[in-house]
Amino acid sequence: MLATPDCLPIDLAPLASDLSMPYTLTPGPATGVFLAEIGRRRLVGSKFRTSGRVVVPAQDFCPVSGDSKFDLVEAPHTGTLTGFTETAAGLIALVRIDGTDEDFAHRIVGAGYADLRTGMRVAAVWADGIENSILALAGFAPAPGAPVGTVRPLVDPAKAVASIDYRMDLHYEHAFGPFYGRLFDEIRTNRRIMGVRTPDGEGALLPPREIDDISHRPTGTWVEVGQTGTVRAMSIINLEFVGQKQPPPYIYAEIMLDGASTRLIHTVSGIDMKRAKELVKPGTRVRAVWRDTRTGSLDDISHFEPIPAAPDGGGALTPGPSAAERKSGT
Amino acid sequence: MSRHVAIVGVGQTHHARRRTDVSQAGLVREAVDRALADAALSIDEIDSIVVASGPVLFAAVNQPEKWVVDAVGARCKPVVRVTSGGGTGLAGALAGYYQIAGGQAERVLVVAYDKLSEGALQYSISTLYDPFWGREFAVGIMGFSAAYWRARMDVLGHTEEAAAMVAVKNRRNAISNPYAHVKQEVTVEQVMQSKPLAWPIKLLDVPPISDGAAAVVLSCEKLAARSTSRPAWIRGMGYFCEADNAASRSMLVSEPLAIAARRVYRSAGITNPRRQFDVVEVQEPYTCFELSYYESLGLCAPGEAAALIKSGATLPDGDIPVNPSGGCAGANPIGAAGLIRLIEAAAQVMGKAAGIQIPNARLALAQSGGGWANLRGVAVVSA
Repeated sequence: MLATPDCLPIDLAPLASDLSMPYTLTPGPATGVFLAEIGRRRLVGSKFRTSGRVVVPAQDFCPVSGDSKFDLVEAPHTGTLTGFTETAAGLIALVRIDGTDEDFAHRIVGAGYADLRTGMRVAAVWADGIENSILALAGFAPAPGAPVGTVRPLVDPAKAVASIDYRMDLHYEHAFGPFYGRLFDEIRTNRRIMGVRTPDGEGALLPPREIDDISHRPTGTWVEVGQTGTVRAMSIINLEFVGQKQPPPYIYAEIMLDGASTRLIHTVSGIDMKRAKELVKPGTRVRAVWRDTRTGSLDDISHFEPIPAAPDGGGALTPGPSAAERKSGT
Repeated sequence: MSRHVAIVGVGQTHHARRRTDVSQAGLVREAVDRALADAALSIDEIDSIVVASGPVLFAAVNQPEKWVVDAVGARCKPVVRVTSGGGTGLAGALAGYYQIAGGQAERVLVVAYDKLSEGALQYSISTLYDPFWGREFAVGIMGFSAAYWRARMDVLGHTEEAAAMVAVKNRRNAISNPYAHVKQEVTVEQVMQSKPLAWPIKLLDVPPISDGAAAVVLSCEKLAARSTSRPAWIRGMGYFCEADNAASRSMLVSEPLAIAARRVYRSAGITNPRRQFDVVEVQEPYTCFELSYYESLGLCAPGEAAALIKSGATLPDGDIPVNPSGGCAGANPIGAAGLIRLIEAAAQVMGKAAGIQIPNARLALAQSGGGWANLRGVAVVSA
């Protein structure tokens, strides 16, 4: 049986984590021409040489044989509905464009769900002012009696679109659970950093966890670890990158808090950055500087600062900011 | 008793900073076509396929093995995707190796790639940190790597100058590698004076960001001769992991790499790696890693890596050449990088490494891994 934590579960709202990732995607030669041509109201497909199959939108590789040899073709603007569904984003359908061998997924416009039947004739509806996107085609609308079109060789193809800007916004809600729940509640409420004892009672695991990683035994009781610690490893960050939380330069540090047997990742500041290499090293003693704001995250600690050496210690450390300076929230 | 497995065909793209002429699928296809041609096989003669690529956040396509099915000839065949950080390529090869060694397939195509020009690399890598505990301070894997390199300086003497010598060696070697895209000789002084990105890591300690793919054809013993009279036999391959934030982790040496090396050396009959190996290929995301690998792989004792690089022994004409291909310094499509190391090691013992061939190479070591020390694998190949 697993030991339960010696505290009531803390009911924290999940941690919202938002990632916003920029991309420049490469569509490749076939889809690149499809995207370039769709703004000119032409539907471009690939006709694969060995299988003879025609695919719209144009693809680099045959879905049957994997063949990479193809000719670009211009497909007609009419087809047959092969399937449809209603979604929160509207009606989505599979359309078999006349003369092609694979279904094309797109929207249905100008009709309701009740108007649709598989096998019915549809025709392309174009959007205005959109280029290099499949949305230049607004969708397909029912077109009873539309004549069956034919696939023709593509004349005077546009240059393939080489790159498409794209962004992926991902929103996550991470559950704290009882161990992280108490850890961050203590940080927010009591300004204490709490770990759990290892099964043998030597040192504390930070962040706290239910099972010891090495022995796979339940961990022990809660214990407060120090707000002072020792730098185990450090790096001076000058690199700028997308998603960075603070402007460089700053010191990335892996710190072993007093009483803990695992490391904490944070930053060290409150020093003359020009002398960073000599002032912060593996072995440098540091202490946590709290912010005035309380969010219940590691960011409630503004940073760590070196602890000035004792007067007789002869250390090269400069004093940290005064309490007043600290209060101003550096 | 597991079956013998051979590498019978290898292929890689001419790597580049950015390829806008191909999609991810097109990039992968180039490597597949080259590996199949090298193995004198058609895709119909492949039983099973492994696709290895980095985190999906690198290039915004989830389950990319579905997207590349037509490009890699996986239609109606067993296909799995393997991903394991920087060690993805070797982990993919291991998945293919198991299939043949275990008698489940006769020939397996392993294809590995990343198209890193498409996304935000360090931001993507930072998402592998715990969202509660450390992600807000993460600097990809670079901040972490730089911090522990700094710690190794004090304990193991892995100086900035020693790492700069790794940069000088690998960048010079890459000039002769037709697939590399960074081909510029540098001096120790230039490395030392290059812009600090995450000191002690400086610009010239860092490999390029690349678009690239690599593929190998693995074969059972019975069918190997149909492809080549000189395959690279896999004498051992392993991939090990450790707990990321367990108590009292040293972080100064990579325990998983030491374990992987010990296990694989035993199965391959290696008792003196420095004397026995003719050539070594390691995946060095930053120059400081290569110094650490020298020690964990047993090419020298702990604390002697700086002396080893300084001695010139790891140059192409030294007694234990390391990265005659230029390693990651010449090209670094991360998901493919581990498989490229295996390909370069295999090409050496197959005698087809052309301009970067080590004369009479018969036994080679390949190393790969992800994270600072967490995931590490090695492979031994022989003529």
